[in-house]
Amino acid sequence: MDSRILTAVGAVVGIPLILGGYLYLTERLLAATSLRTQARIRPYVWVVPAVSFATIFMVLPTLNTIVLSFQDKTSTRWVGLDNYIFFFTNSETINSLKNNLLWLVFFTGFVVIGGLLIAVVFDRIRYETLAKTAVFLPLPISAVAASIIWKFMYDYQPPGQVQTGTLNAVIGTLGFSPVAWLINSTTNNPALIFVGIWTATGFAMVIISASLKAISSELLEAARLDGANELQVLRLIITPLLMPTLTVVATTMVITALKVFDIVYVLTAGAYGTDVIARQLFARLANADYGRGGAVGVVLLIAVIPLLLLNIRRFRQQEEIR
Amino acid sequence: MAPSVVRFPPRVLVFVVSAVLVVGACSSAGSPSTSGGAPAPAASQAAASGATGSAATGQVGGQVTVWTAWGGNELKAFQAVLKPFTDKTGIQVLATTVRDFSQLAINVDAGTPLPDIAGPPNPDKIPEWAQKGIMKPLEEILGADGWAAYSKDTNPALLTIGVVDGKHYLEMVKTQVKGLQWYNTKVFTGTPPKTYDELLAIKPPSGAKLTCVGLESGDASGWPGTDMLANIVMRQSGPDVYTSWYQGKQPWNSPEIKAAYQLFGKFVSEADVYGGPNTVLSTNFGRAGKPLFADPPGCMFLEQATFIPSFFLEDYPNLKPKDDFDFFPDPSINSQFDGNIEGFWDSFVAYNDTPQSRALMQYMSTAEAQQIWVDAGGTLAALKTITKYPDPIFAHAAQVAADAKNILPTAGDQMPADMQHAFWKSTLDFTNDQSQLDTILAHLDEVRAASYTTQ
Repeated sequence: MDSRILTAVGAVVGIPLILGGYLYLTERLLAATSLRTQARIRPYVWVVPAVSFATIFMVLPTLNTIVLSFQDKTSTRWVGLDNYIFFFTNSETINSLKNNLLWLVFFTGFVVIGGLLIAVVFDRIRYETLAKTAVFLPLPISAVAASIIWKFMYDYQPPGQVQTGTLNAVIGTLGFSPVAWLINSTTNNPALIFVGIWTATGFAMVIISASLKAISSELLEAARLDGANELQVLRLIITPLLMPTLTVVATTMVITALKVFDIVYVLTAGAYGTDVIARQLFARLANADYGRGGAVGVVLLIAVIPLLLLNIRRFRQQEEIR
Repeated sequence: MAPSVVRFPPRVLVFVVSAVLVVGACSSAGSPSTSGGAPAPAASQAAASGATGSAATGQVGGQVTVWTAWGGNELKAFQAVLKPFTDKTGIQVLATTVRDFSQLAINVDAGTPLPDIAGPPNPDKIPEWAQKGIMKPLEEILGADGWAAYSKDTNPALLTIGVVDGKHYLEMVKTQVKGLQWYNTKVFTGTPPKTYDELLAIKPPSGAKLTCVGLESGDASGWPGTDMLANIVMRQSGPDVYTSWYQGKQPWNSPEIKAAYQLFGKFVSEADVYGGPNTVLSTNFGRAGKPLFADPPGCMFLEQATFIPSFFLEDYPNLKPKDDFDFFPDPSINSQFDGNIEGFWDSFVAYNDTPQSRALMQYMSTAEAQQIWVDAGGTLAALKTITKYPDPIFAHAAQVAADAKNILPTAGDQMPADMQHAFWKSTLDFTNDQSQLDTILAHLDEVRAASYTTQ
């Protein structure tokens, strides 16, 4: 026990000490050189700790994952592309890919469009803060807790028994028989995606709402004076001005959709045709199958890279405008 | 993220930077700081093993680290078992609850220290770890006398597990019996059926169904179904087919396994199970027995292991074992294979050979230690010499274990992890749609081909 406390204290105190010591020492050394050299070298000296942390904790593990993905289960033998061939021919991973596609389209679509509509509508109501808080409220709840809340909401009891699940209780009062939301193959994926939308829409709303406030009211008034109706204002003025924000929100949501794990893991653990790639990755790692797990990770990484590039490009464009 | 750029006010940056600098200045002024945290655990370990004094006397002193998967009442029982040991030997037992034992394999791969004593790794790792000396054989750890006593008194069926090159590595400390049909004594009053046919022919009271089944268990959903299947396979096709099945040598689409699924299917069919398949799939295994005691009853039988009464008592705290509920073991299918029962067990493996770990391993194999476990309730001893049980249900279960010819291990637990997960899941898919059996079995054979290959 005490050894672990020592380790923790050592890490918390020691690493800043080492960093500070490094900077202090290098500054002392630099002081001995000319001002011009100092100006040229100093940025590199200061950036070294950050770059080395990123290398140790991000770049090396990524490279190692790529290496592992070309090896067998126990990382002792090279197997070429076998793990990738497995990935693209195995019925479970193919089904997971299909489900991720569902998440990508419906989760992203509903969150972005829902966030936009809510932001625009709430902009005009009296109790804006209160209404926005209500939509934002699910966001601070951890995904696992949110999933457990929805597990209760979707709960199923045999027909004729008291329905303890809120949803089945509601449709029961309307005279319908209960639905096994998480098991029935037509309702389970929508049910899972809905939990995602419930947790993420608040985030999209807050970001979009902030941009919305930045649009000058004179611009909107001018459009209205020129005879544009509210729908035209939304479509032709607000949406184009919000486009950079919408793109960022959308790419963030696409990445969230690609790496969705917790909701699926808690609610169905991937059974009944609801599996997704990130849960496949987890299952491989938990079963100590580093080869196939690595391959899943690499495929996921490749899928995310274009979106990251898009985000970075947007970011640069914004910086240029400033 | 960072869509609208968040800019730190310059003051904050200055503060952060100067804080770093101040800390840096302190470090250069005073203590050398390079001894971060890494050497600390190694040092304390050296201290622990350095304290290995004279082992001959009763008082040994020092420490032993143990990982268990136990929490709650099971952990309390373990602490009760440890108390006389610590009193007698002065050895401090540092027990950590580790839920996920794949951590052992992670430590081995990373070369980080292992606990002195912990549960066994996944069965597919046992031969490799035994050969590499990561696990220490009981023949050495228990000493000649200790080994002789342990091997004489432990249930023989348990001594066949975890054996590599004739050496034993898993010290059995407790056991449980699976494949028991639990019932409400007010609802089922007849004599226990002799065969599965007789069991399935029992007429439930009107409004009730024959069986209750609950397969939901989070990431491990489906395991109760795999236990039901395992009990069918060993009674229908015998221990040889059973063993080669979990060893991956018996195809899933072979007639034996297919027949087992078909018989299992009757227990989860719309006609015979409480609430139909949707209820089976949405009900947690711990809550599955609730309708047994409802008024009017929802079903007559629930197949589950010896641990299930604690769940009955959570829902109905006033139930009395034997008076209000009881069980009979799964009946016969093929009389040639009578006497095979499914069980599981808790075992410990010594990963470090120290005087302290030897002392604790020796202690846990004694009747003294195992009687404390048994008295705490909820388990059977691994020693067949223990016959005193606090609860009539467990005395009955101990009788079932004593009468058995073979205690066969839980099939799923013996399979590689991929195979086990696929097996669990197959009972969910089959319950959901029994007409898909051939597809399900074909998929299991695909997983079998892929998961038993490398090691």
